[in-house]
Amino acid sequence: MLEVQNLHKVYPNGTRALTDVSFNVEDGEFLVVIGLSGSGKSTLLRCVNRLIEPTQGKILWDGVDVTAATGAELRGVRRRIGMIFQQFNLVKRSTVMTNVLAGRLGYVGTAGSLVGLWSAEDKAQALRALERVGLAEKANARADALSGGQQQRVAIARALMQNPQLILADEPVASLDPVLSHSILQYLEQLNREEKITVVCSLHFLDLVHRYATRVIALKDGQVVFTGLPQEIDKARFKEIYGEDAIEVKAGLSA
Amino acid sequence: MARLSLASLLLPGLGQYLDGRRARGLGILGVILAMLGLIWWSLIPQHLSLESRPIPLKGDPANLAWLVVPALIWAWNVWDAARPETARGWIPVSLASIMFFVIGWQAAEINPPVLASNVDRVMLIIRPMLEPDFIQARAEEREGWVELLVPCPAEAPMTTAGSDHAIGVALDAPCGSVGDTLTVTATGLTPDVGVELIWQSPIGDFFPLRQADNPTEFRVEKPDAQGNLTTTFVVPNAIPPGIDPTLPQEQRLYIRQSRPLGGWELSTNGRFILQGIYETIALALMATTLGTLGAFPFSFLAARNLMSSNAFTLGVYVVVRTILNIVRSIESLIIAIVFVVIIGLGPFAGMMAVTVHTIAALGKLFSEVIEGIDPGPIEAIRATGANWLQIIRYGVVPQVVPAFTAFTIYRWEINVRASTIIGVVGGGGIGFFLIQWINLSDYRAVSAAFLAILVVVQVMDFVSAKLRERLA
Ligand SMILES: Nc1ncnc2c1ncn2[C@@H]1O[C@H](COP(=O)(O)OP(=O)(O)O)[C@@H](O)[C@H]1O
Ligand SMILES: [Mg+2]
Repeated sequence: MLEVQNLHKVYPNGTRALTDVSFNVEDGEFLVVIGLSGSGKSTLLRCVNRLIEPTQGKILWDGVDVTAATGAELRGVRRRIGMIFQQFNLVKRSTVMTNVLAGRLGYVGTAGSLVGLWSAEDKAQALRALERVGLAEKANARADALSGGQQQRVAIARALMQNPQLILADEPVASLDPVLSHSILQYLEQLNREEKITVVCSLHFLDLVHRYATRVIALKDGQVVFTGLPQEIDKARFKEIYGEDAIEVKAGLSA
Repeated sequence: MARLSLASLLLPGLGQYLDGRRARGLGILGVILAMLGLIWWSLIPQHLSLESRPIPLKGDPANLAWLVVPALIWAWNVWDAARPETARGWIPVSLASIMFFVIGWQAAEINPPVLASNVDRVMLIIRPMLEPDFIQARAEEREGWVELLVPCPAEAPMTTAGSDHAIGVALDAPCGSVGDTLTVTATGLTPDVGVELIWQSPIGDFFPLRQADNPTEFRVEKPDAQGNLTTTFVVPNAIPPGIDPTLPQEQRLYIRQSRPLGGWELSTNGRFILQGIYETIALALMATTLGTLGAFPFSFLAARNLMSSNAFTLGVYVVVRTILNIVRSIESLIIAIVFVVIIGLGPFAGMMAVTVHTIAALGKLFSEVIEGIDPGPIEAIRATGANWLQIIRYGVVPQVVPAFTAFTIYRWEINVRASTIIGVVGGGGIGFFLIQWINLSDYRAVSAAFLAILVVVQVMDFVSAKLRERLA
């Protein structure tokens, strides 16, 4: 279980990105975080694995106090939390295989990994992960030779290499064609259902939220303004979260 | 108002300062102090050496007249103190500029007529430079000599003659006095090839005998068809000052013939140039390689985006960056002086200097490359639980390799240039020979060295431009 308690984040320039955010995520949930851009979704997700230092508050995961962890302990926490980004964040000049293997870095020795030595096991696992996202034949291509949708699948394979118990996905489909959105989210859904990996994912489009979320929290100006089931978001709630002028758009193409 | 003027009369700028125009007040005070200092300095006679050679324009009491300028500014400042805030100060600025310019002119010892009056000296340099001393016609040097006493001792001595190439030399007298005309006979010469007559003084100095009717030209004699030469010469005054000229001293006459063998070969200096160029290129290559390897680790420590995670790493960043900046700003020529002191003359000292400078310069450039990379992949690698070294290896290195390579090649060009000149301070390579030839006024060798440097730098620039094109 992931427990976020009274989390605050104030950036050095004074921006209050998160204010007193508290919520729990049960194992096996597919939690979607919604909110306007600038509402603090990315900040929240990055606080969970401490890519961003929270200013105040506590995050407990599996009973471990993530906010207090340092050094090796923190890296031990991170390696069991996969992360997927809006911009994919692959190393573009490296091969797909190298990008995927990088997911193992938290598990392998420093010396071996620095000279690029990987065990046969790791390589086999990387190929399996690539097969899983349908890109085994691209293993030796350079990452920047792939399309956006393919790159995001490589990123999922990289996260899989971590044998994660939790996947954080920060707007994983926002830079992709709507057509591809479902394909990416279906991979996440599959991992969530079959591997019992908890997913915390921020999304923009409400139709995607309705389709994939088991639960939703909404952020507005860094505060939680809604927690509940996706079907509870009616017109009134929608206006509350997104403001009076918002109109609902769809990612299109239902799965 | 009057109060402010009074304050400025007592101390220039004080009125303005009290009025809240602090920068203006301090500026006025600063300018007046600087002027007084400058005038004081221009009055002191300057001596450059122990021979107390005065530099004519400095120490001129006429410079005392310049005191009128700070006095005028002082007066202006009293008036200015009572003026509104927005008033301009072009009067003192132009006054001060004129004075600084004129005294600066004196300090730099600017003396344009010298440029024109000594123009003929240029030819002394240009003429030998048109004949670079790099290759020469292949020839075999042969010589023979005969010894004689100058002046003649009381008892007649034996003459000795010697030769390493079967040139026999004999005199008609075993001794002579300065100014005597003697006859020399040489045998075993190559027919019809010019022969030089060279005198060796008692302390071993050589100087060629000159033509009697044209003392600016050396004597060159032709042997007959049998290889024999008989000619006369006047015993020169070769006794060094300080030695009693009445004491008989052994001196020698050398007969030297250089027999052309056909074809061309490197001259002695040409060989030195090749050796110097070879050293220079090796030096540049080693310095670039070691410098790049050294810059690599430092560049990561000097990249803000990698080092800002906590106070300790930020401290390391500040220290490393400061050191790189300081070392980078010192010319490698200056660094070389330090290494020459530590290591001694030679290419090793030069290489160390260029290496150190390369580490600092490339470390800075590399760190800027790192600061400009996409932070996304770094974030992603960090999220996998990777440690700092792994983040560098998988998130940073792949992104920076192309730019690092380009900068390294560019640095190689700079290092070739630096290595040509580093020898001037004893750092080995072609510059080491060059500075000696300059000091010896051997302009033929100097010009050959210049040409060699030109060729090397051009070739290296071309190669590296091609390389960079390939990589781009
Ligand atoms: N590094 C940063 N420094 C200062 N302010 C930031 C930084 N990152 C984000 N912010 C601000 O924090 C707020 C929340 O940003 P973010 O978490 O990126 O929102 P979202 O992901 O929902 O668009 C925004 O106002 C944003 O401008
Ligand atoms: Mg965001």
